[in-house]
Amino acid sequence: MNSDELDVKKITVMLVDDHPMVQGGLRACLSFYEDIKIVGSTTEGKEALNKALELKPDVILMDISMPFMNGIDATEIITEQLDDTKVLIFSMHDSAEFVTSSIQAGASGYILKDTTSEEVYYAIKAVSNGKTHFSSSIAKVLVESPVRAGNEKLTTREQVILSYIAQGNSSKEIARKLNISFRTVEAHRRNIKAKLNIDSLAELVRYAVNHGLVES
Amino acid sequence: MILSIRLLFIAVLQVVITSIITYWLVADEYIELSEQSLETLESIMIEQKQQQLKNYTSIAISAVEHLYKPSDQDNTVVKSLVADIFDSMLYSGDDGYFFVYDGKGVSIAHPKEPFRIGKNFWELENAKGEKTIQILLENAKAGGGFYRYPWLKPSLQKVSEKMGYSVYLANWDWMVGTGVYLDDVNSQLSILQDEIDQHINKTKQIILLVAISSIFIIFLFGLIVNLNQKKRTDLKISELGQKIINLQEEERRYFSRELHDGIVQILVSIKYSLEATSIFLKKAEQTKPAPLEHAETNLVTAIQEIRRISHHLHPRILDELGLSAAMDSLSKEFSQRTGVFVNVTKPAVRKLLPDHINTTLYRVVQESLNNIEKHANASYVAIHLSIQNNWLTLLVKDDGSGFDTSPEADTSGFGIGLRNLAERVEYHSGKFDISSSKKGTTIRAEIPTASFVNYFNQSNIEAA
Repeated sequence: MNSDELDVKKITVMLVDDHPMVQGGLRACLSFYEDIKIVGSTTEGKEALNKALELKPDVILMDISMPFMNGIDATEIITEQLDDTKVLIFSMHDSAEFVTSSIQAGASGYILKDTTSEEVYYAIKAVSNGKTHFSSSIAKVLVESPVRAGNEKLTTREQVILSYIAQGNSSKEIARKLNISFRTVEAHRRNIKAKLNIDSLAELVRYAVNHGLVES
Repeated sequence: MILSIRLLFIAVLQVVITSIITYWLVADEYIELSEQSLETLESIMIEQKQQQLKNYTSIAISAVEHLYKPSDQDNTVVKSLVADIFDSMLYSGDDGYFFVYDGKGVSIAHPKEPFRIGKNFWELENAKGEKTIQILLENAKAGGGFYRYPWLKPSLQKVSEKMGYSVYLANWDWMVGTGVYLDDVNSQLSILQDEIDQHINKTKQIILLVAISSIFIIFLFGLIVNLNQKKRTDLKISELGQKIINLQEEERRYFSRELHDGIVQILVSIKYSLEATSIFLKKAEQTKPAPLEHAETNLVTAIQEIRRISHHLHPRILDELGLSAAMDSLSKEFSQRTGVFVNVTKPAVRKLLPDHINTTLYRVVQESLNNIEKHANASYVAIHLSIQNNWLTLLVKDDGSGFDTSPEADTSGFGIGLRNLAERVEYHSGKFDISSSKKGTTIRAEIPTASFVNYFNQSNIEAA
């Protein structure tokens, strides 16, 4: 194999972890795998949004617990805007709620930090090929509490949009404020209505006020 | 500061002293005044009697004047006629009569004691050691005068003080007198004296009443002040307790975060360094040394151990995903451990609550589940979180054996205590209630929506 061929096949990866030492250890391990290229890294969720838009990596290895914005909320916004970027959650948390929330937010896989570097490698490869990957202990958790459609909680993004709606913003205004497309807002709107089982705008507003999401 | 017993005692003592002094001064003054007025009254009454006696006497004299004046001195018929007239002049019932003696003390007329007639009483001596008739004669000769002496009172047939008035009929050498008994004056005065005594008693009672009610009011005031003070102190203690609990939760959260996001991450990085070393050795086709293998295994154990401690201190899921997710996770752990089925219902929205309310409600669920595990012997638990009509309501229901919720009941076995939870919920303007029967227990915690309204926006939009 010549180096040109390798370059074409290389999977671009971005690391998001608030601990530089973890990033360092991961870099050291992944450097042995020649079909993976780490193109960038950042230590917090909000910066990850900008960097992802800039680098458009194939895979983002995303931690959850980070200052300012957690990895799940960041994942939701990234996958909303970048169709070709897969997010692989790389976290210490092993509760089902973290996994289901991550899946709702659009993550393609979930691996635990105490796994082997070999698994990290396989997971990156799997999600970059459009598959999903979960650590074995995580898979077990998922079987026990599957994500059920219709009984889902709103995601953070959906709650933000519901909150804007309740404050009297139109879809166009929300699109401009969040810097996303009108169609994306409309899609969120449909999802919110479906999850809350609500049809009218008035009921949406009442729901938001009742639950203390916005002031009456 | 609590109003001390000593202070109350001093106040009471002052009331007692003031009352005694007031009583003493008033009573003394009153007695003196009453004595004066009684004396005045007595002299007025005596004067009235004297005037009456004079009047009666002059009326009596004028009644016999037509016989006495013109007649010659030794007309015994006229004299006995006049004596009869005096005998017949009675007034004021039995006690008003006239008596007549001649200049030598021989009784001439005496309607009430006729046995005296014709006998000489010159030497008659009364209980005061005075010669009664002689003195009356002297007064009469001196132009009329008053004399007090003891004499038989006809209506009572008893000796009583009498005030006599006598005048002299010089032509006949006669002394004519009459008198009043002073016992009615005395009895009137003693009635007055009684009334005055009653007044003094009444005053005494009023002062006593005022003193007692003052003391009562002082005690009541002291009691109210002390109760208020105690209430305020209790409130302060409760607030302080909440502050301590909040601080404690803060500390736990801090350490949990430091362990989970600090030390564990460092250990993870070490783990990957060790793995990198393994991969390197493998590539160099060298066998992996056993100590390296051990280090990797032990490191994983250490990571899990620290995570367990961190989770015990404060569940990170609460901060990252909110109360609903934390409750789900907690109830799942509970079900796995105890085999008790738990059903959790919650709203579709999340991350609505600020950290301290989140933590408080999480502890309510945790403590309730702990109690159920230890005491309830339940087979089913329902956890219900909902927001309606401006209140967030958390219900934890079980179908266990229940327990005594009365305040006297011994609930010391129930972990950090339901009372503690109640205080924590109330601290967030919330309500807390436990109802228990043999069919199960329901723990209800409620928080007003006002305590967290708009929190989601502030933390997720305005901060962005």
